[in-house]
Amino acid sequence: MQRRLILKGLGASAVALPGLAACGTGGGGDVELSDEPVTIRMTWWGADTRAELTEQAIAAFQKEHPNITVKGEFKDWNGYWDALATTTAANDSPDVIQMDELYLASYGDRGTLLDLADTSDFLDTSAFEAATLETGQIDGAQYAIPIGAGMLASVVNADLFAQYGVDLPDDTTWTWDDYAAIANELTEKSGGAINGSGLTGGTDAGSIRYWARLHGNELYGENGDVTLDPAVLASLWEYNLGLAASGGIESAAQSVESQSAGIEGGSLATGKIAMGFGYNTQITPLLAASGADLRLLQLPGNVEAAANFIKPSMYWAISSQSDHPAEAATLIDFLVNHEAAADILGTERGIPANPAMREHVAADLDEGGKLAVDYIESAVAGPAVVVTPPGGSGFDPMIQRYTQEVMFGERTPQDAAEAFIDELKSEIDAAA
Amino acid sequence: MSATTELRNLGGRGSTAKRQNKVAFWFLLPWFLGLFAITLGPMVASLVLSFTDYNLLQPAEFNGLENFSRMLGDARLHQSLGVTFTYVLVSVPVQLGLALGLAIVLDRGVRGLAFYRSMFYLPSLLGASVAIAVLWRMVFGADGLFNDGLALFGVEGRGWISEPETALGTLITLNVWTFGSPMVIFLAGLRQIPRMYYEAASVDGASRWRQFVSVTLPLLTPIIFFNLVLQIIHAFQSFTQAFIVSGGTGGPADSTLFYTLYLYQRGFGNFDMGYASALAWLLLLIVGAFTAVNFWASKYWVFYND
Repeated sequence: MQRRLILKGLGASAVALPGLAACGTGGGGDVELSDEPVTIRMTWWGADTRAELTEQAIAAFQKEHPNITVKGEFKDWNGYWDALATTTAANDSPDVIQMDELYLASYGDRGTLLDLADTSDFLDTSAFEAATLETGQIDGAQYAIPIGAGMLASVVNADLFAQYGVDLPDDTTWTWDDYAAIANELTEKSGGAINGSGLTGGTDAGSIRYWARLHGNELYGENGDVTLDPAVLASLWEYNLGLAASGGIESAAQSVESQSAGIEGGSLATGKIAMGFGYNTQITPLLAASGADLRLLQLPGNVEAAANFIKPSMYWAISSQSDHPAEAATLIDFLVNHEAAADILGTERGIPANPAMREHVAADLDEGGKLAVDYIESAVAGPAVVVTPPGGSGFDPMIQRYTQEVMFGERTPQDAAEAFIDELKSEIDAAA
Repeated sequence: MSATTELRNLGGRGSTAKRQNKVAFWFLLPWFLGLFAITLGPMVASLVLSFTDYNLLQPAEFNGLENFSRMLGDARLHQSLGVTFTYVLVSVPVQLGLALGLAIVLDRGVRGLAFYRSMFYLPSLLGASVAIAVLWRMVFGADGLFNDGLALFGVEGRGWISEPETALGTLITLNVWTFGSPMVIFLAGLRQIPRMYYEAASVDGASRWRQFVSVTLPLLTPIIFFNLVLQIIHAFQSFTQAFIVSGGTGGPADSTLFYTLYLYQRGFGNFDMGYASALAWLLLLIVGAFTAVNFWASKYWVFYND
C-alpha cells in the first residue's frame, strides 16, 4: 500500500491528498448512543498533575452523562506505548486513546484507530481550523483530534546573562554564528562555571527537522520517505563538535546526564547552561524547576527562513476496537469543546488547539502559560511537517545514540550521518 | 528451568533417590502448574512468531528464516552480545569470588553473624529493583555521591554512567554488589563440611591456606557450581538495571545495550515483535549452551562427596 502521510500545521498551504480509502474502518452509520449504562476506558500518559485534572474532567463528564462510566488509566511515557501495543494486539484496547505524532501513523495506518467521520454526530470538530484538523489526518481520514499545539523555541536564562554581563540576543536577527559566539562568550565570562549552551540538536526529531529546513532540506518527503541529506546532518554535528571544543556547549557526558535527568533536572533547569532548546509548553516546568528568569526566543535564523513549525502536542483518538464509539466520541467532544472541561484541564496538555477554548483559558493563565501563548502567537511558522511514518516512532533514541557516538568521538559526523540515515530508512521500509 | 534441574541433581543422588524424587515432584507441582499455565503458552507463541513478520497491530506474516538470517548483519545485536558477554563474564566471577570470601570470613564465627548476614544479603533483595537502579544513577552521576567521595581525596571524578567507557562498569559493580544471595548459599555449604576434616588436617600440620585448598574448596564445588549456573543465567537476563540507568536506551552510545534491552527495544519500540521473538529464542539457545557447557565441564571439577 502506498502511504501518503501528510501533516499540515496551522496556516499551512493546502496540499492535495489522493483519495485513497483508509484501511481498517467500516463505513459507519450504525454508531449511536446506548440507553443502557455503558463503561468506556480512557488512557493517557503523563504525570500526577495530569491524572488529577483528567479525573476531575471525567467526573464532570459523568455528571452530564449519568449512564456513561469512564475508567481512566494512565502510565508514564515508555510504559504507555508498551501497554497500548499489547492491549491493541490482544484486541483489548482502551476506547479513548491519547495519541502522539510519533505513533499516529503507526496506529492509524494499520487500521487500529476509528475514522472519526463515523462519529461526527457526537464529536463536533467545527470549531477547529481546517489546517489544525489536518494534523490528525492520514489519507484524508480524521483519525485523531489535536488537543494542543507546541513549537520549538530557544530558551535563555536571563539571570545568567545578567550575572555574567552578556547582552541578551536579538532573536529577530540572530544566526547560528551569533549563537556560537554568544555561547562561547557566556562560558568565558563565567570562567567555566557554566557552559553557554547545551547541545543545539540531535536529540529529537524537531531539531533535525529545523536544521534540515534551514539548509533547504526536509527530514521526510511527502510520501513519508527519508529525504534528509547526510551532509546536512553531518553539518549539525560538526557545528556542535566545534562548540564542544571551544567550551561553548557542555561536554558529551554532561549532555547525557542532562538528558537522562529529564526537563526538571536537566542542565537548563539547574542553571548549568544559559541557553537551550525546548517546546514552548515546557517553559512551565522549566520555570518551576529553575526559579530563574527564563525567556522563550525565536530559533536562530528562523525569522528570516521561517523554518520552524507547529507541532500538535498530542491528540485524542478512538480505538477501532471500541464497542462504544458514540460514547467515546461524546467524551472527546466534552474534553475539547466544552468550557467546563477547559476550565479544569487548562493548558496542561498544551495550548488548546481549539481556538475557542484557547481564548477561554487565556484569561487566567499562569506565567509559564502566558509565555508559551505569547511565543506561539509571535513566532514565525513555516509550512507544517510531514507526519512521522510508521517505523519512525523510534527516531529520538536512534538519533541520540548517533549523536552520542559523534560527540564522544567514536564516529565521524559524515560516517554517522550516513549510517543513521540507512538505519532510519531500513526501519521505515521494514514497517511498510 | 535449569536451576531446578540442578537442584534435583544436587539432591537426587543415592538409594533413596526414587522416594526423594516423588517428594520433589509434589514440591515442584505449583511451579509446573505455573509453567504450563503462564510460561509455556507464550513460549510456544514466541517460537511461532519468531518465524514471522509481526508488528503487533496487524496479523503476523510467515517469513521463514528471515529473522534469523537478519541477525547476522545486525550490528546493534552484535554490540548487545558484546556488552552482555562482558557483563556476564566479568560480573559473575567477581561476584562469586566476593561472596565466597565473605562467606568464609563470616563462617569463622564473627560476633553478630546474623546481623552481617542480613546486611550483606539485603542488596540481593534490592539489587534488581527500580529504586536501586535510580539510586545507582544518582550515586554514579557527575554530581553524585561517588564523586563527592573521590573529591575528599582530591580525585576529580567523572560522569561514570554518562561516559561510554565507564557506564557498563557501574552496572557490573551493581551486579557484584548483589553478592548476598550466593554468599548465603556458600555459608550454608560451608556449614555442611564436617569439622572432623579440618581437625584431621590440622593434626597433619596443614596450614589454613592448605586446609582451604584441600578441604574447603573441593567439598564446596557443588555449591560453587550451583551458584555459577544460577548467576550466569541471572546475569544474562538482566534488564531492569540497564533500563533504568540508561532510560531504556542502552546509552550512552549503546555502551549498556544489554541483550534483553535490545530485544525489548525491537519488540516494543519498533513494533518488530517477530524479530524480537527470534532474539528471545537466540537468548534461550545461548543461555542453554552456556548451561550445557557448564554441566559438561562440571564433571572435571565438581566433587560430590557421597
